[in-house]
Amino acid sequence: MKNRSIISSNGAGARINVTPMIDVVMVLIVFYLLVGQLALDRKASIRIPGSTSGLEEQQTLDPIIVGITSEGIVSINGVTLDQSLFIPEIENMHARSPGTPIRLRADRDAPFGVIRPIMHAMRDANIPRVELVTEQRR
Amino acid sequence: MNPLQTKTDAASKSRALNQRNVLTRTARFGPNMTPMVDVTLVILIFFMASATIAGPEWFLRADLPEIEEQSDQSSNFALPTPILSADLLIRDNQVFVNGFGNESISIESVIQRIANMEPALSNGLILGIRAKDDVPYSAIVSLHDAASKAKMRVAFR
Repeated sequence: MKNRSIISSNGAGARINVTPMIDVVMVLIVFYLLVGQLALDRKASIRIPGSTSGLEEQQTLDPIIVGITSEGIVSINGVTLDQSLFIPEIENMHARSPGTPIRLRADRDAPFGVIRPIMHAMRDANIPRVELVTEQRR
Repeated sequence: MNPLQTKTDAASKSRALNQRNVLTRTARFGPNMTPMVDVTLVILIFFMASATIAGPEWFLRADLPEIEEQSDQSSNFALPTPILSADLLIRDNQVFVNGFGNESISIESVIQRIANMEPALSNGLILGIRAKDDVPYSAIVSLHDAASKAKMRVAFR
């Protein structure tokens, strides 16, 4: 019967074959890195509305993403913030790089009553306009 | 037959076989592609799945409400900006809009009216959107979408 042990007995010294373990570990690392980055807003369970028109991505700068859930939970770049901390944080970020676009990812079911204070806070931070992120529906 | 001779023959045959095995191994020597293919396939499947789930996105540009401040002397010389006003409200669990005519009309009718507007009339027009607290964000975006298609500029008030 063929020896299928992971401990190789060929040659003088027996050694463990670590290649499968490295494979699995690498895959897990890559998976968690990507999922962590891609699902920042999914963690906050934001379902963005759809639109049949819109502007395609042109910016080279990384935008500042402001997320708002239907319950009014606010986040900046995936980090959940208290509303009292939102204003100084967005002010600082906008002051550091005034040209950076600010994208609003709000839940489609969020009442405007939870979005308006965020818009007013951004206006107070001298942000003239925002980009409302929507899902493409052609 | 000399038993010693037989033993020597067997040993030389075994050495030859071993030699062949070594040569075979040497010929197949090189990077093992299997793990790399495994990893690449998993990453590929992950990207395909995530792309399908997320769906393509784009964005609608909107001006934020202006800071209310005393107008200075220079603004008296500014030309008035044509503004179309839309005040969204909820009535009977439906979204209605004030500002298009004398009475409230449904948001679907407003979207239709905007779509039917003359391009020369709608192009560059500013649509000021105001909404009550209970109006869902999706209704605002649908109005914004219609305005964007008519080349209007949208501002929140």
